[in-house]
Amino acid sequence: MAKNKNDLQQYQVRKTKGWVNVLISIFLAIWAIINLYPLYWMFTFALKDNKQILDTNKFGLPEGAPNKWFWSNFKEAMNTGPIGRFFLNSIIITFATIVITTLAAMMASYAITRIRWRASEMMNRIFMLGITIPIQASIIPVYLVVSKLKLINTPIALIVPYSAFSLAMALLICNGFMIQIPKELDEAAYIDGCGRGKVFFSVILPLMKPAVATTAIYTFLQCWNELMFASTFLTGEDYMTLPAGMAQLFGSHTTEWGPIGAALVIATMPTIVFYILFSRRIQDSFIAGAVKG
Amino acid sequence: MKSKKYDGVTIFLFLLPALLLFVGILVAPMASSAINSFYQYKGFGQKTWLGWDNYKRLFNKDFPAYIPFKDSVVHALLLAGFSVFIQLPLALGLALLLGRGIKGERFFLSVNFLPVLISTVVIGQLWLKIFDPRGLLNSLLRLVGYLKEGDDNIQWLAEGQGKLLYSCFIPMLWQYVGYHMLLMYAGVKSVPTELREAAKIDGATDWQVDRFVVIPSMKQIVKVSVIFAITGSLKSYDLIRIIAMNLSTKDASVPSTILMDYMTLRGEYGVASAVAVLLILLCFFFAILISTIFKERD
Amino acid sequence: MKKFLAMLLAIVAVLGLSACTKDDGLTMWCIATKSDSNRHSYEEAIKEMEKKYPDTKLNWEAIENETYKQKIKAAVAGDNMPDIFFTWSCAFLGDFVKEDKVYCLDDAYKGFADKLPEKMCKNTTYNGKKYGVPLTMNIVGLFANMDILKEVGYDKVPGSYTELIECCDKLVAAGKIPFGCAGKETWCVTEYLESIIEKSIGAKALDDIFCNGATWDNPDVAKAVTIFQDMIDKKYFDPDGVSLGNDAVKQNFIDGKYAFYMNGTWNCADFSQKGPKNCQVAEFPVIDDSKAKLGQLIGGPSDTLAVAKSAKDAENTAKYTFELGQLICKYGYLDGCGLPAWTVDYDASSVNELTRSVADIVAKSDYMVLFGDTAMPSDEAGKYLEQVALVYTKQVDGAGFIAALKAAIR
Repeated sequence: MAKNKNDLQQYQVRKTKGWVNVLISIFLAIWAIINLYPLYWMFTFALKDNKQILDTNKFGLPEGAPNKWFWSNFKEAMNTGPIGRFFLNSIIITFATIVITTLAAMMASYAITRIRWRASEMMNRIFMLGITIPIQASIIPVYLVVSKLKLINTPIALIVPYSAFSLAMALLICNGFMIQIPKELDEAAYIDGCGRGKVFFSVILPLMKPAVATTAIYTFLQCWNELMFASTFLTGEDYMTLPAGMAQLFGSHTTEWGPIGAALVIATMPTIVFYILFSRRIQDSFIAGAVKG
Repeated sequence: MKSKKYDGVTIFLFLLPALLLFVGILVAPMASSAINSFYQYKGFGQKTWLGWDNYKRLFNKDFPAYIPFKDSVVHALLLAGFSVFIQLPLALGLALLLGRGIKGERFFLSVNFLPVLISTVVIGQLWLKIFDPRGLLNSLLRLVGYLKEGDDNIQWLAEGQGKLLYSCFIPMLWQYVGYHMLLMYAGVKSVPTELREAAKIDGATDWQVDRFVVIPSMKQIVKVSVIFAITGSLKSYDLIRIIAMNLSTKDASVPSTILMDYMTLRGEYGVASAVAVLLILLCFFFAILISTIFKERD
Repeated sequence: MKKFLAMLLAIVAVLGLSACTKDDGLTMWCIATKSDSNRHSYEEAIKEMEKKYPDTKLNWEAIENETYKQKIKAAVAGDNMPDIFFTWSCAFLGDFVKEDKVYCLDDAYKGFADKLPEKMCKNTTYNGKKYGVPLTMNIVGLFANMDILKEVGYDKVPGSYTELIECCDKLVAAGKIPFGCAGKETWCVTEYLESIIEKSIGAKALDDIFCNGATWDNPDVAKAVTIFQDMIDKKYFDPDGVSLGNDAVKQNFIDGKYAFYMNGTWNCADFSQKGPKNCQVAEFPVIDDSKAKLGQLIGGPSDTLAVAKSAKDAENTAKYTFELGQLICKYGYLDGCGLPAWTVDYDASSVNELTRSVADIVAKSDYMVLFGDTAMPSDEAGKYLEQVALVYTKQVDGAGFIAALKAAIR
């Protein structure tokens, strides 16, 4: 084995030139800095006042020693209301959306990819059209539907539309994974006397873990920052989500940007921390989903 | 094995949750939009039948209260073009470089994806500061001597000077490079290592490996990226809203800004519905077009 | 499978959570968000109301301006209106009145007629019936940084148009920027343009165009637009303004970059706290004295509370709303957020100096024309703002402006 490897290296006659590699590294480094900068900027932005943000110090660290920085912005952002409650609401709503989207997509995907019927391909295409529908276009009709069902100001008013808008993409991802599972598995289960339902829940679902991760991330990105539906469909602080709560920081004539920066830091942090902790897994599942989708 | 009838019920049951969501929240409201697009309607109260007038306003220059909808479609298609021909190649390049197994591969991958996770409000505000008359870009131009001492600042964000559209595009294109990069990186990595090595043994350079081994195997993923890039461009809204600031923007109008402008600010829900209908038709059209193009290439 | 059950349980929990909605007390929606300058006055007023009526619980919520417009319309469409809601006067409330969704306040008004002058209800009266409780009101003021004016030899705000032009010329010669105007937010441009038009064609003529169906095809309007564009040509305006939003422009004025800033008088509190150090407010001078005169202002009562027809116990809610509105108005005035639409029967000596000088200007005024985009129905306002934006970036001239508006509106 070791010998083989040596052979291999001997045959690598045309290695990329050194200076090209240096150029590539420089390019990658610059690109990485460009992509990291917004994160840094968000933190500095959260610690300034309007004068610095809008006029004197748009890009650098906040002026003065760290104890002169506008830490009070965070206090103000926290004071917009029961921020813990907003957080919890956001988590509950996002989580429920993820569960519903994933389950509905899995089931539909099962029916489309694993059961043979004439219109399955057609059905799939129709669902895929959902990717193209812009969420802004439907706010009033959806509002009328939701309010006819007496669901205004309940978390369901958000969970259901969010799920619907994430569905097409989730289905796309699920289909990709579902096709990879060998058909023989189902056949074997049928021979053992299992029904479709049992096969789906006890054979297929356990194999779909990476798909769950991928759809979950995608759905999370879709609804964690959503504002328009959240502020239209919910009233009062009981069910308000984090972005809707934070939107309270915008004044009607003048806006203090510092507290908004702080609020954005607070709202973005969970995503970033989660991403840092699980970046490898997130990327892997993303990759898996995308390749097959 | 199973009777056909039984399967019909099972299929229906399995599709039911998705169908309920799809019909209840996507199809039914869209149908109501389609109906509303023929009325004068404020979003509440009385509706007045208009026939095709709302559509005429969008297309007929001589119609009273003409809305330059065609411009907005051109802008969106321009964005789609930039997206396909600049953003995607950039993402592909990054993916190929990282896919070669460069030192710190994972780090670069994570960092480049980061902008996707950051709220558009932050991204938008940051770029507003960059394009500000006394912002980073103009300062740089002064530093390199492009702008001389007494010269006026370049107004990257002003209406009517032809720059606003691009000032909106650049952040949009940049933010999602990482997203497409990750998709494509996945494609690169799905090429078996043995295949790469075999090609190298045959004397191929890294570039040749990429060109003749990796890229041809990525058709599927490129197709997904292209569909996302184009439908995403047609639906683009958030960053334009922040950077153009004004929903009634002419220079940087896209279908969604017109839609939101007429719906939220002007209370002309009928027109907004007509825009929504056209927007969806456009997205459908392109989704189908792309699928066909990729199929023909097979 | 276990995990799956856990997820189902979680969903059930969410559904359960949503089942227990509250249904006691009154509900109110407004736009006094946490960072809004009116927030404090709402809080104080509501605190006082709760003390006075401990049995009436007010569940109130503030929504960001733009989102609110969407939300209240959706609520009207879906018959989900709150009992009391914030609205702008004239066209915005008028739409809801037309749909018969607003409770008429004529009976309740009788109990408050001595404290709320009839003329303050003008903007919320439709077909002779009152539908709104006015809160504070604002006008457009010409704010001036006196320190900068002093440098070019003025110790008071120029009172005549020729003097103002002279002053601007001197400022430009001295390398100062006379005006700042946020081109990215068209309402800021209207603050300038409407004042210039009003002082050229007279308040009555402008009011007729805005509210009473007069045509836009008025050469005097075109002339006023030309005057505005001449001022831009003569570098009276910060050239960077076309790229800026109002927050940035206002900050520039606070930081002493502009000599003048025309904007709503809700800024008084901010300017007296944050600077510029020597700030005064005045009325824009008369341009054509054969048609216009001093005492003709842009502004008036717009911020309003209204009661939904669907409100619980509507008549009592209406009375409650009048009392609440009066208190919000009082605390808003004391905070310097605007001028009182209600009679002042309390000690107002703590009000900042700028707001008090605005009060003097208003006291001397005899005609107020409401902000164009509030006065007009929203579809017309959209077309109007579209053209105003083009005026500021000089994509349309005076003749083009009136021609376009004549075609689009009248």
